[in-house]
Amino acid sequence: MLISTRDLRKSYDLGSVEVHALRGITMEIGAGEYLAIMGPSGSGKSTLMHILGCLDSPSSGSYVLNGSEVAGLQSRELARVRNKQIGFVFQNFNLLPRIDLISNVSLPLVYHGSMSKTDRTRKASEQLERLGLGHRLKHRPNELSGGERQRAAIARALVNEPSILLADEPTGNLDQKTGREIMSILDELHSGGRTVVLVTHDANVADHANRTIRIEDGAVAEDKSNGGPR
Amino acid sequence: MNLMESIGAGARDMASNKGRAVITIIGIVLGVASVVTVLALMKGGEQQSLDFMDEMGGLREIRITNTRVDRLMMTAAEKASERLTYRDAQAIQEQCESVGYVDPEITRFLTVSYGDKTYQMKVLGTNREYPYADSMPLGEGRWLSDKDCDNYANVVTMGTTYKEDLFGDEEAIGKTILIDGVPFEVVGLTKKKEFYFQGQGGGSDRNVLEWFNRSHYIPITTMIKRFTVNDRLDGLEIAAKRVDLVPALMEEARTVLTRRHGVEDFNLEAKSEQMQQRSEQEGFFNIIFWAIAFVSLFVGGVVIANIMLSSITERVREIGVRKAIGAADRDLFMQFLVEAVVVTAAGGVVGLFLGLGLVAVVSNVLGMPTSLSVGILASAFFCAVGVGLVFGLFPAMKAGRLNSVEALHYE
Repeated sequence: MLISTRDLRKSYDLGSVEVHALRGITMEIGAGEYLAIMGPSGSGKSTLMHILGCLDSPSSGSYVLNGSEVAGLQSRELARVRNKQIGFVFQNFNLLPRIDLISNVSLPLVYHGSMSKTDRTRKASEQLERLGLGHRLKHRPNELSGGERQRAAIARALVNEPSILLADEPTGNLDQKTGREIMSILDELHSGGRTVVLVTHDANVADHANRTIRIEDGAVAEDKSNGGPR
Repeated sequence: MNLMESIGAGARDMASNKGRAVITIIGIVLGVASVVTVLALMKGGEQQSLDFMDEMGGLREIRITNTRVDRLMMTAAEKASERLTYRDAQAIQEQCESVGYVDPEITRFLTVSYGDKTYQMKVLGTNREYPYADSMPLGEGRWLSDKDCDNYANVVTMGTTYKEDLFGDEEAIGKTILIDGVPFEVVGLTKKKEFYFQGQGGGSDRNVLEWFNRSHYIPITTMIKRFTVNDRLDGLEIAAKRVDLVPALMEEARTVLTRRHGVEDFNLEAKSEQMQQRSEQEGFFNIIFWAIAFVSLFVGGVVIANIMLSSITERVREIGVRKAIGAADRDLFMQFLVEAVVVTAAGGVVGLFLGLGLVAVVSNVLGMPTSLSVGILASAFFCAVGVGLVFGLFPAMKAGRLNSVEALHYE
C-alpha cells in the first residue's frame, strides 16, 4: 500500500472548546489509484488532505506513507516528505506572482537541493512543455489564463516525481470547459500510472476517480468504487 | 537553497519592488553616511594631533618643569634647592642610561642691533644641534655646534622672520650683530616653520609655530656667561633613545634630579601623555558623533524590521506555498534574513557614496580635518550588514515559524 492510515485523529484546542476535526480515519490507498475524497465543508476533508499532504500532523493515530511512518515527524522532516513525495495542486493555483513559470516550476527542485541551476531549468522547461506551456516559459503567472496557470501548477507538482498528486478542488476557480481540460490532464496522469487524490465537493469532478471516499463529521461515511477505470 | 541563490533571490525581490526598497534603505543610507563622516572626522582630528606632535619634536621627549610652589609655604629643603639648572641638564646627560639628548633652554628678551636698527628680541640659549635639526629645519648656514657650547662662542642662528628687517636683501650669514652690546657672528638662519589647525574658530591663518621663527639661538653656555646671573633654566626637555625607553628615562631622570635637589620640586611629563590628554578631550566630541551615527543606524534598523514584517504579512501566502512544495522553516528563515541583509548591504553601498560626499563637504566647505581609509569604509559597510542581520532576525524567525496550513489559506 502506498498510503495506510489507522485511527487518524485531529483535534484543535480552542480554549474553552475542543474541536474534533478528525475522529479516527482508517483507510488505505494503493499505488496508481485514482481517488476522490468528498465531503461538505466542515466535514474534515481539508484537515485530512493537510495530513495526507504532510502539511499538518495528526493528534494521534498512524500514517504510513510509502512504507515509513510520518505521523510523528518533525517539521523539517515533513518538509522533506512534502518535497519528495507529494505534489500539490490548489484551487487558486498558488503560483508565486513575481517570478516566471520556469522559476515557479523549478522551486521544488531548489528546495530538493543538489541539482545545478542548468539541470533545474532544463527539467522545469521539459515539464512545462509536456503540459503544453513550452511557449510560456518566461511569462509570469498574471500573464496567463486560468487554465494555463493550473497547468503550470500541475507542472510544478510533478517536477519532483512525487508518489502522490494531491489536488484540492483543482477546477474550483475555472470555467467548465477549462475545468474539463484540467480533469482530462489528471485522467491522463492517472492512466500514466500516477497516484492521484482529488479533494472536492463537486460530484462531476469526483466522477473522474475510480474510488470515492466520503467524509462526514470527521469520519469515513462511505468508501465506494466507481466501477473501474474508464 | 544555497547562499548565492538566496542572495540572488533577495536582490531580485528587492528589484521587483523598487519603491519599497528605497524607503527601506533610506535609514541605512543615512546611518552609513554618518558613520563614514564620523570616522573620517575622528581620524582626521587624530591625524592632525599626530602631525602636530611630530612637528613639535616627536614622542620620545619628556618635558621637565619646576613645580609651582607658594614661596610662603616652602619647606627648608625646597628653599635650599636651586631648582632646574644647566648643571641638572648636564647631570642627566651624563648619568641617565636611556637618554638620547637633553635640551635645556634659557630665554631672555635682549636688545639686538645691526647698524642703526635696534629691536627687542627673544633670544634662546640652547645647546643642541642635531635635535633641532630633526624638527627645526635650517634655512641657511649651520646650527650651533657642541664646540660652540664648549668654547662659549659668540655665534647666533637667527630666526627667519627678522632677517629682512635687519638685513634687507643682504646676505645674513657672516654678519656681526650686537646682542646687548656683545658682538655675535650670524652662522645660520632657520627655515620658516608653520602649522595651522584647521577649522577651529576661523583661526586657520594663525601659524601656531611662529614663535620658532621669531627666536634667535645662541649657545647656552654663552647665554649663562654673558646675560644671566645663574644657570637656572626656563625649560628643559630630554629625549629617550627610543620611544619605548621613555618610562625608563623618566625614572632615571627623577632619581638624578631628586638626588641633586634634595627634594622632588619638579614635574616630568612625557609628550605622549600630553597627546593622550588631547585625544581624551576629543573623545567627548567623538561620543556625540557616535551617538548620532548609532541613532541613525538604529532607526534604519527599526525601519527595516518594520518593513520586513509588513512584507511578510503581504507574503504569507507565498510562505505557505513555499512550505507546501518542500521549503523547511530554515529555508524561509534564511530567505528573509538574506533579503534583509541584501537590502541593508545595498543601502550600505549607497550610504558609502553619500558619506564620501559628506566628508568632502565637511573638509572643503567647513574646513575641518578629515581622513579616509579603506578601513573606515569597510567598517561602515559592515555596520550596515550587521544592522540587517540583527533587525532581520526577528522577521525572518517569524517567517520561518508560520504555520503552513494557515499560511496557505491566508486571504
